[in-house]
Amino acid sequence: MDQESHACTKVIGPARFSPVAAIGGVRELLRHSDLLYTLTLHRIKVRYKQSVLGVGWAVLQPLLLMVVYTIIFSVIVKMPSEGAPYAVFVYAALLPWTFFSTSIATASASMVSHGSLITKVYFPREILPMTYVLAAFFDFLMASIVLAILLAIYHIAVGVSVLLVVPLMLIAFAFSLAMTLILSAFQVRFRDIGIAMGLVMQLWMYATPVVYPLSVVPKRYLWIYSLNPMSGVVENFRRVVLLHSSVNVAILIPGLLVCAVLLPVAYIYFKTAEATMADVI
Amino acid sequence: MYDLEFLDVSKKYGIADSSNAESAGLSGKIARFWKSPADFWALRDVTFRVSRGESLGIIGHNGAGKSTILKLLSNITTPSRGEIRIRRKIAGLLEVGSGFHPELTGRENAFLSGSILGMRRAEIAAKLESIFDFAGVREFADVPVKRYSSGMYVRLGFSIAAHLEAGILLLDEVLAVGDAKFQEKCQRRILELKASGTTIVFISHDLAAVRTLCDRALLLNRGKLIGEGAPSDVIAQYARLGSERPEEQQEGVTSLQRAAHVTSFYFFDDRGEPTTELRTGFPVRAVLEYEASRPISRATINALFYWSGDWSVSSHFAAGPMDLMPGMGAIEFSSDELTLGPGAYAVSCTIEDDEGEIDFVSKTYFSVAAGKPMRGKFFSPNRWRRLSEPGTVGARSGQLHDIEPR
Repeated sequence: MDQESHACTKVIGPARFSPVAAIGGVRELLRHSDLLYTLTLHRIKVRYKQSVLGVGWAVLQPLLLMVVYTIIFSVIVKMPSEGAPYAVFVYAALLPWTFFSTSIATASASMVSHGSLITKVYFPREILPMTYVLAAFFDFLMASIVLAILLAIYHIAVGVSVLLVVPLMLIAFAFSLAMTLILSAFQVRFRDIGIAMGLVMQLWMYATPVVYPLSVVPKRYLWIYSLNPMSGVVENFRRVVLLHSSVNVAILIPGLLVCAVLLPVAYIYFKTAEATMADVI
Repeated sequence: MYDLEFLDVSKKYGIADSSNAESAGLSGKIARFWKSPADFWALRDVTFRVSRGESLGIIGHNGAGKSTILKLLSNITTPSRGEIRIRRKIAGLLEVGSGFHPELTGRENAFLSGSILGMRRAEIAAKLESIFDFAGVREFADVPVKRYSSGMYVRLGFSIAAHLEAGILLLDEVLAVGDAKFQEKCQRRILELKASGTTIVFISHDLAAVRTLCDRALLLNRGKLIGEGAPSDVIAQYARLGSERPEEQQEGVTSLQRAAHVTSFYFFDDRGEPTTELRTGFPVRAVLEYEASRPISRATINALFYWSGDWSVSSHFAAGPMDLMPGMGAIEFSSDELTLGPGAYAVSCTIEDDEGEIDFVSKTYFSVAAGKPMRGKFFSPNRWRRLSEPGTVGARSGQLHDIEPR
């Protein structure tokens, strides 16, 4: 108790759009790291607790999409795949893409689905979307095992360059987080976001080099194409895992800049919206 | 040294924001997003301070702003104006079982709910035994909570919250959780915390509990602070406030046009003085005065008692049927033992005949303090006698047979 009496005063005032307050928010978030861990664990546990397939579900989605896209783009339509078997070519891209799309689909609804909690207990609200992004990352790790198996089946050797997936996934993580912070806070006021997101994500996938290589994209559209951070992540993920080629920096940089600007802005916006979220949810 | 300062705080809610958002359509929503909706001030310029170790009670009618204060203190929402300063770790026993997930076991839920309430995992692990013991669900720790009875569920929820280590404790109506035995346990626990120097903010309709638990009380009315002082003084002010409220449901008929109307209703204490404070299980006497403008046959006169929580009728006194003559009259109601449990009540009086209601007067307020011990919501007057004692010949089998159907 004595230590507590020297603790700094917590001041609660009217909500303001303030970068300074957002820094305080990060500090508060770090204090609640245990909650982030517990809730993420809970997310993963609950998802698999009553299902027969369990962790298999994490693998099933990219695997099934791989089969479908392979039939369409390899058997029916001949899509160039830069020398790699099309199945592995598309699966390697589906891994980071599925992480992103699952994050968006589950996390944007996180505020609305936890409405009863938000009106009753305080904790840094960004923990809710974060746990969904982390759970999607767990799925990504599970689905990566299948990629390893596919690589073994097709006798594709993996070089040291594979380690570059770590920074690439960090970019994907930051971008997913930024998007979910904006979308989840927005969905509290506009429930339509949830319905629209399904459609948007479908279109977005075709604006990302998942089922086709970057090389088929016309040069003059590349600059706008590269503003999508997922383009750089997906293309380079495939390059470092399958093709042993160096990272395509030109496609990565614009998206990286978008990420660097978007994440802090998204967080400040979220913290401002958070203050009165309980009143409108 | 103040643990908590509430400085000129106002809280505004946009009414349109919280109502049915779906019906408005996208254009309406976009319009509402930019335009500020109709405002409702749940709190206006409220200032108060709570010293270290003090326990403060906040009372007032529903909608007076009590729960808004709790939401602001627990940072669930932020003030529209003003500032709140909090100097110690604050924990709310507001929502028992927050974040419980039915599929998870009691143990997993303890970690989940505990972390949501702000405990560290190591802290929860250390207190786990104690949490399950307090809730009395030790042997069900590894059973999914969907298999718990509602009582077990609520007890576990309270127990987790009661193990929070905080300098300031926010209490809602949580003392009304579980059965009587568990309630006693909860009250003991809170008194322990109070004795150990925990600052308490208590918001309740249970005026008796406010009186026993709190050092000071605040009275809120329509978002404004209108009273502050010793709990018994503030509770008395609250009771007066009730009777000063404008009468409702007059429906355009003035009292003079009615065939009869109630002019007053008072409880009296044992010295014959009017009172607004009664005690459970003790004798009660009330006098209702009326005035009739014409003869009424087969009239009934009622005093209806409402829970202040949800305004449902909890009990009533009735007189009649009888014939009323024109002029003024008075009815005395009395009972040897008051059956109402401790809490705040409102009373409405009605005069009825075979054709329906003639007069309805609402509502004056009174409070019931703890009197004779009771469990549940009502005190049940009862007589008892001893039928047998150990060693009495043939008593056990013979006497019990009498109760069974023949």
